[in-house]
Amino acid sequence: MNKRLAILLAALAVPASGYALDLGNINLNRIGSVLKNVQEANREVPEKEEVAIGEQMASTLLGGAPLVNNAKLEKYVNDVGRWLALQTERPELVWHFGVLDSEAVNAFAAPGGYIFVTKGLLKRLNSEAELAGVLSHEIAHVLQKHHLKAIQKNASYGAFAEVATMAVEANSDGAKSQILANLVQGTKELYARGLDKDDEYEADRMGIVIAARGGYDPFALPEVIHDLEKLNPKDPGAALLFETHPVPVDRLKAIDQAAGDKLDAYGSQPTLAARFLKHKPNGK
Amino acid sequence: MKRTRILAAALALAASFAAWAETGQTVKATDLKKTPFADGETLASLPENTTVEVLKRQGPWMQVKSDGKEGWVRMLSLRLGNGSAKGSGTAAGLGGLLNIARTGSSGTTVATGVRGLTKEELANAQPNPEEMTKLKQYTVSTKEARTFAAAGGLKAQQVEYLAKPASTANSGNQTSTWGDSQ
Repeated sequence: MNKRLAILLAALAVPASGYALDLGNINLNRIGSVLKNVQEANREVPEKEEVAIGEQMASTLLGGAPLVNNAKLEKYVNDVGRWLALQTERPELVWHFGVLDSEAVNAFAAPGGYIFVTKGLLKRLNSEAELAGVLSHEIAHVLQKHHLKAIQKNASYGAFAEVATMAVEANSDGAKSQILANLVQGTKELYARGLDKDDEYEADRMGIVIAARGGYDPFALPEVIHDLEKLNPKDPGAALLFETHPVPVDRLKAIDQAAGDKLDAYGSQPTLAARFLKHKPNGK
Repeated sequence: MKRTRILAAALALAASFAAWAETGQTVKATDLKKTPFADGETLASLPENTTVEVLKRQGPWMQVKSDGKEGWVRMLSLRLGNGSAKGSGTAAGLGGLLNIARTGSSGTTVATGVRGLTKEELANAQPNPEEMTKLKQYTVSTKEARTFAAAGGLKAQQVEYLAKPASTANSGNQTSTWGDSQ
């Protein structure tokens, strides 16, 4: 049991990122260095495991804020998201989109096709193309397996396979275990810390293209990023977004450098503002 | 009483803000065009850090007023807001004030006004299988998605992903501009 627990705890060590997660009084890096298993860190994760891990992570996010209880809105966001996902290299994945009942301004992706936007973010948007831009950015995180790789990297000391197996089992029979508790904890650490900045720039680059492929005006995503400039980064509802993403002006510069005038021709595609406004949450 | 005064101040600020046009700054030297086209007539060359009044966006272009001249600049040559280094000037400060106004809480407990998925709430989150079940009920089929797209007049396009720029000044930097001050 002790050895097993040690392996599990090692899953949360974060040596690659330059700092350790401290759970209680245990320095995880010390355990991790004994249990190194490079092979596991580089393993191609089967889709079943990816989805199972993503479901646990998504469920944890839903524990932070439930879905908005509005079937019409939730369906609408799924329609937009699924259409966009059809334009990507993983059209057959079963994609799930949800609007979180939170006034915070943010969006999240979890492995295997789980994507959330907050009600607070939707209230700032003005068109379906802007929603499409946000969802496309998150879809790109799933396509590039940014979160999965971050977890895999951090669990690079032998425990990842066990985490994946347990996640698959938990989804079928509801088993509880210390490993799953660790995955939940690791999930929260990851979303609080954010991805590497390069992952975010990549998601922007891919996001504007996915929106263009879906027939939307791709410049709606940079318009959303422009709008973020108006938020106070220290507002509690915006702090997490700002702490986990490059500053808006850097994201816009990076998009400019990558896109040049390559996407100009798609700038006249529709924004579908009217259809969005029919669904946009209002009031409080 | 104090609360009322804060509320009144916030509303007054909000009212005056609404009357301002949106402003932006050029983040690099850029041309002011007469029409929203790359080959349109150039009205002026705007140096970096030129303040402009932003009217609207059309595709990759934004219609702006600069020094009395109205024209179009590339949206990605601009930043909106007041252009301060951290983007946390008047407009952003107003957001905080409005938050107080909305929640009726004092300036020191502004956090009470924002619910859900703040850092603290994320830290306390536990898996919620009931909501996961609901999430799955909202999933749409590819057929539904295609019908939805057609109803909106959306047409799928073949577009290549963009290559990563050869060298970006932004890459590889782990520091968050605002992280240190939290």
